[in-house]
Amino acid sequence: MTLRPNANALAALAALAIAAPLLAVVALAVFGAWTDYLAHLAETRLTDYLANTAIVALCACATAGIVGAVSAWLVARYAFPGRAQLEWLLALPLAMPAYAAAYAWFDLTQAAGPLGFLPTVRGPVGAGFIFGLTLYPYVYLLMRETFAGQSSDAYDAARTLGAGPARAFTRIALPMARPALAAGLGLVLMETMADFGAVVHLGAPTLSVALVRAWAGEGSSPDAARLAVLLVTITFLILFIERAQRRRARQHAASGRVKPPRRVRLGGGAALAALAICAIPILAGLVIPMARLGWLALDAPVARGLGEAAINALSLAVITALIAAAFGIVAAYALRSRRPLGVAAARLAGLGYAVPGAVAALGVLIVFGQLQSGLDALWTSAFGQSFPFLLTAGAATLVFAYLSRFAAAAIGPSESALSRVTPSLEGAARSLGAGPRRVITQVHWPILSSGALLAGLLVFVEVLKELPATMILRPFNFDTLAVIAHNYASDERLGEAALPALLIAIFCLPAMVFVARRITRQERRAERQLATELG
Amino acid sequence: MIQIRRLFASSALFGALTLTACAPAPSENAANDELNLYTARHYASDDAVYAAFTEATGIEVNVVEASGDLLIERIRADGARSPADVIITVDAGRLHRAAEAGLFQPVGDLGGALGSVPANLRHPDGLWFGFSTRARVMVYAPDRIDAAQISTYEDLADEALRGRICVRSSNNVYNISLLAALIERVGAEAAEAWAAGVVANLARPPQGGDTDQIRAVAAGECDVALVNHYYLGRLANTGAEADLAVFEAVDLVFPNQNAGGAHVNISGAGLAAGAPNREAAEAFLAFLLSETGQRAFPELTNEYPALDIAYHNPALEGFGTFEGDPLNVSALGERAAEAQRIFDRVGWP
Repeated sequence: MTLRPNANALAALAALAIAAPLLAVVALAVFGAWTDYLAHLAETRLTDYLANTAIVALCACATAGIVGAVSAWLVARYAFPGRAQLEWLLALPLAMPAYAAAYAWFDLTQAAGPLGFLPTVRGPVGAGFIFGLTLYPYVYLLMRETFAGQSSDAYDAARTLGAGPARAFTRIALPMARPALAAGLGLVLMETMADFGAVVHLGAPTLSVALVRAWAGEGSSPDAARLAVLLVTITFLILFIERAQRRRARQHAASGRVKPPRRVRLGGGAALAALAICAIPILAGLVIPMARLGWLALDAPVARGLGEAAINALSLAVITALIAAAFGIVAAYALRSRRPLGVAAARLAGLGYAVPGAVAALGVLIVFGQLQSGLDALWTSAFGQSFPFLLTAGAATLVFAYLSRFAAAAIGPSESALSRVTPSLEGAARSLGAGPRRVITQVHWPILSSGALLAGLLVFVEVLKELPATMILRPFNFDTLAVIAHNYASDERLGEAALPALLIAIFCLPAMVFVARRITRQERRAERQLATELG
Repeated sequence: MIQIRRLFASSALFGALTLTACAPAPSENAANDELNLYTARHYASDDAVYAAFTEATGIEVNVVEASGDLLIERIRADGARSPADVIITVDAGRLHRAAEAGLFQPVGDLGGALGSVPANLRHPDGLWFGFSTRARVMVYAPDRIDAAQISTYEDLADEALRGRICVRSSNNVYNISLLAALIERVGAEAAEAWAAGVVANLARPPQGGDTDQIRAVAAGECDVALVNHYYLGRLANTGAEADLAVFEAVDLVFPNQNAGGAHVNISGAGLAAGAPNREAAEAFLAFLLSETGQRAFPELTNEYPALDIAYHNPALEGFGTFEGDPLNVSALGERAAEAQRIFDRVGWP
């Protein structure tokens, strides 16, 4: 089931528009003035940066992968006290900006800090853990989604044949959830590679630091663009190799809503263990750093303009999330079509996520600067004056910038959801006489809609946290919560930064509960439907 | 469930309204009753300065605030259409770069105020000027180290301090500008030897911000730290007991008092090349140098005023007076790239 060719071309066009800032960065890298900075870098710090990047990325992915997959499995397949609350609480650390978590943990564990007896959270390993603990919800959300919808036939068969639960999990359930794991880790990897604030604070400079130094220290934005292209290429290669391997291991196990698994009830010690395993990441990723910031906030005056900043942030986040969710669906179909143009455009759009925020913002500025001069010229020839609006000063520009940065978070969930509509499932529906429209509404949509909801949620959270593009593209006198939190934190006033950061998490809560409930309701409906069909 | 849906619907609607309301740029040719300010300073207390200016003149201040590098790119992208009137950065290097990019025009004498700014704190052709200064100082533990041992920056490279120094990453612009000043004074080769000596003396790899370095001295992790003076002043004024304890456990040295002066960098401002509200912009720049404007910096953000005026701030007064480096701060921008490369070579991350 794919899009018709003209729809596919439209999808490709939308993806290309969203990839335009990335293309502008590439153009700057290719055509910008060359300096000897890259040669200097290769002679001096490059190996350190590369080593740090590798360690940070590995630790982040290992932490996020293990925490995300295990908690998703527990929540999706077992029943224990607190499970229903943990189901959405587990997603909350995503609301904690990584740099804020880094500041708080460093502050807690440095020699003079209240947890000074612990090893200080610093260096590439410490940074990797921070990213893992704040970003694992990507993996968790996507995998919970998959585990909940995954047929338990194969898993049950393995258990019947004598495999223990751990073995059946790693050998059967995990490989079947690989697209979700890969999509989640892809997001973790890209966000980790693009970060600047946390790695500098923790003394683990990665390649993104080299990039910022090219720009800030040398004043060479083309060299910064070149390093951004290098970062994107590395990310692309990793994701490409993973996809190629997965394709070789493709399996069309019956999935979709064939047999929704029944949750295994845990008692006593096992229930307690499950509860603890799910609670630890929430504590480490959100509660403890937030509590530290909150404690510091007690001594600090309340930042002014928080109400207005909150409304600004929420408006931007909601609007962008809706558009991004729609775009994610379109892009997922374009990817499924396997038509080269659509696939290439969607993949390109998704890569914007790996570009460090400041350079991504620069890409948007270039695109709008060019667009503005084009429009001005057109308008002048038609009406004798410049185009009446200044593009870089509108909130609509900001929405576009967010879409271009977070397209990957919009595409991943829908792509992963759509991958659960296997050819066998589709074939069955078609052979039972369902027309294409019915296949879309009755087979695709129930599975895809939860993916789109997730996509909207991820983008909502991302926009609430976003910084560099917001700072430089916002209209006059326009603050968001993330901007206020960052301004205080970067001025080393953690206390004042606490309240806006806390508000970000508080605003994420209802969105997460909303999405979790919608998804659970869909699952129940599917179960009932199945029950009536079987009955 | 229904309430949540309604909440979402209403916030989306509100968002749509906000978007349409924000889309048009502030008028570019309006009468001089407003001013568009692009600033890299993000101190909430600056709002008080703008409010005082508005009260004095009736001119409203529109603010966009972001890092200096991004501000420069935004003004460049907007080109001749940029609504920017005044540009402020927190580092002379960024002002230098903005001037190189042609973003400034000469400010005039601001009713004589510009002439009272020390010559080394402004651009030779009057394209920008510093309105407040920050000194790079040493904070030390008086029970473990003798102030005489650290009277100059050069002392930090001395073997006697092996494993006793805390300093943040060389990404920090004040480390870069300090080394840039040192290059001017002693030459690139000696500056590189100095940086290598400091790296050899570090107690731990660079991490955290300036406040964290001061805390590390108080906690005994190192004996001396290189920081901007206002972070120490602030610890005295936060009202938290733990911070006050840190403040009392350490002392401050203004380095090089008889050897070239302590390194200073500036917060500086200039008139944007295409300023649509030129008169308002000049009124604002003059206000920054007025007594009200100047007093705001020591009293609200613990910076030193560019002009010699009286102010009230016990912490700053406690530090005493000092002799600053007479080097023209525009040199800090010219040497920034060279300084960063030295940091790269000596492995000061």
